[in-house]
Amino acid sequence: MYILKNALKSISRSKGRNILIGIIVVVISISSCITLSIKNAAAKAEEQGLESLSITAQISLDRQKIMKKAQTDGTDMRELMGNYSELPINELKKFAASDYVKDFYYTMTSSIDANGDLKPVNTNTSSSTNSNNNNNSNRQFPNNGREIPGGMGNQGDFTITGYSSEDAMTNFINGTCKITDGEMFDVNKSDMVCIVNDDLATFNGLKVGDKITLANPNVDTETYEYTIVGIYKNSNSDSTNNNGMRFSTAMDPANQIYTSYNTLKSVIDKSAASATTETDKETGRTNTTALRNQVLGTYVFPDIASYEAFKTNAKIMGLPEYYTINSTDVTNYEQSLVPLKNLSSFATYFLLIVLAVGGMILIVFNIFNIRERKYEVGVLTAIGMKKGKVAIQFVTEIFLVTLIAIIIGTSAGAIVSVPTANKLLDSQVAAQQVQLQQQDRNFGRASFNNQQESRSNGVMPNGFRNQTISYINHVDAIIDIKVVGELLGIGILLTIISSSVAVIFVLRYEPLKILSERA
Amino acid sequence: MNHSKSYQREHKGATIMSILKLENLTYSYDSSKTKVLNDITYEFEKGKVYAIVGKSGAGKTTLLSLLSGLTTPTSGKIMFDNKDISKIDRYKYRSQCVGVIFQSFNLLPHLTAVENVVLSMDISHKKIKHKKENALSLLSKVEIDENKAKRRILKLSGGEQQRVAIARALSYNPDIILADEPTGNLDLETQDEVISIFKKLAYEESKCVIIVTHSPTVAESADERYLLSSIN
Repeated sequence: MYILKNALKSISRSKGRNILIGIIVVVISISSCITLSIKNAAAKAEEQGLESLSITAQISLDRQKIMKKAQTDGTDMRELMGNYSELPINELKKFAASDYVKDFYYTMTSSIDANGDLKPVNTNTSSSTNSNNNNNSNRQFPNNGREIPGGMGNQGDFTITGYSSEDAMTNFINGTCKITDGEMFDVNKSDMVCIVNDDLATFNGLKVGDKITLANPNVDTETYEYTIVGIYKNSNSDSTNNNGMRFSTAMDPANQIYTSYNTLKSVIDKSAASATTETDKETGRTNTTALRNQVLGTYVFPDIASYEAFKTNAKIMGLPEYYTINSTDVTNYEQSLVPLKNLSSFATYFLLIVLAVGGMILIVFNIFNIRERKYEVGVLTAIGMKKGKVAIQFVTEIFLVTLIAIIIGTSAGAIVSVPTANKLLDSQVAAQQVQLQQQDRNFGRASFNNQQESRSNGVMPNGFRNQTISYINHVDAIIDIKVVGELLGIGILLTIISSSVAVIFVLRYEPLKILSERA
Repeated sequence: MNHSKSYQREHKGATIMSILKLENLTYSYDSSKTKVLNDITYEFEKGKVYAIVGKSGAGKTTLLSLLSGLTTPTSGKIMFDNKDISKIDRYKYRSQCVGVIFQSFNLLPHLTAVENVVLSMDISHKKIKHKKENALSLLSKVEIDENKAKRRILKLSGGEQQRVAIARALSYNPDIILADEPTGNLDLETQDEVISIFKKLAYEESKCVIIVTHSPTVAESADERYLLSSIN
């Protein structure tokens, strides 16, 4: 008890010195508070964000793995790649039976031509505007680089997408697209109805109830008639698909036609039934006139844990070696955390530097302090106070000053940490955006999404891949019991570091020597 | 010699207890092989005032440091209550068994007179009730009034500091009082009072009082004198 009493007396006696130590510790505390808040916010954002995220994932061909195998085995890469294709829908459905999958939906995408009076909307002069120019050898399928199996065919003027579920129509769910006239088709029916973009409707004078005829780009005479049940507006239609470049009219948002999966499946099946095939003598590849199509299955998971478990479970269920499961939601979310994580990482280094410098200053202060109080140590030990107790008294003094300073620093830190963290985060987000815009310029893309968005691999309802990320650029109340505990830990650490020298000095001093030197 | 009060030793036929015993005590500093104290054998008893006298450099203060447990002998033993003090807890010995009045007082300047006395009581861990009142009472016995008792040490004169040092040495009621030139800073009148206090402690409270002194007056007032002679 008397040790505490002595320590308090000693603190009040050396006000100037203790205020100076207090100021140093307050500065360290505020810095630590901001740093720990940022780290805590980053950890919480990651944990809570992933917990609340409804995760979707796809199974796709792992081309990298195939290429690696070809390189290792010395086999022909093209030949090996030719042996593998995306899994068909019946295979994809097998994995949907996993206990970890909450929902499964799929889309079918095909490229189809205009027929009769119907003209595609085309604002890109570099592309062909002639809907009947079916022999253009430069045409390609609008599958964002994903090859449609069955050999190269001609590309049509429109992209038609069939949905198995309304859940798959994310552009309608997130509000990018809205029905402005008529109604949505029934996803469960195969009734040859569709919805068209309002630009396409205006361009061709179409209205709800009209019929449009679409043709197989490979066979002009193979036509299919659809009834328009709805007209939708795509709020992104005015942009040039975000990247300023479009290689065909089929990629124009105005030329997207949506229908049910069953409707498109029936068209694809009919086309396949009437198709002719021929084998190229030189390459040995079989070409068909059937409509090309791409199926994309999407698995929905309730949480990240289910998604991770599904990855293992799918292998047990027989997912072949060269297929991979990936989630753009998880990737997007991880991308959105990049600035916050960068800031957190920077903050950690900053904290270490502050602690090292602060610790050193406190050590020096305490060395001077102990040297000044050498006589006191001599007297106390001469009258029988054990060196250990003298050391405890000195440590108590440092701890009390540090504790008070940490309380003040934490209070101040709690006030300034949120605005400071958000300000720093803004800078990080801006830096990240500048970096990505520079990358885009290097790749010849126009700058886009200059506010809070940047690239990612979001799946659009039409199967195209869009690239937008909403970065986490705001953190809220981030001082919690964990941060307070960590700050207290830092206080104890600083006390130990700074008082350790004091303790060593005290233990080295011999009372007789001190007193005889003084006398 | 006019003492303010004179005391007669009363043995009353009782066996005088030896409280402190020097057995072949030898001491030399680490840095030199020269012996400061050589083969001293002596006994100190309770109820007596001892004066250790000798020329400067004879080793008087060194002997006091050895007796107070601030250092250990190069050879030989100091037995306290038949226990070798080099083998007991010397901090406990210093805080409970001996009260030392240093030549330069060694009081804590940032504390008041009464706080210095109370601190010694705290360090001794002896159960002392009403420490502050006791401390004030002790200080008043050495003629430090309450007003002065609440002053910081540096605001007191040399003589007053000396008396505070005496009060501190007595505060936890040790068996042995060691005093190094306790009257060096005192006028004759106060010197007599201090000697009187020591005698009272020895005769009435059966303490063993050991005084290192140059003063022939103090030496004469002691019951026994031990002359330390320079070895070189």
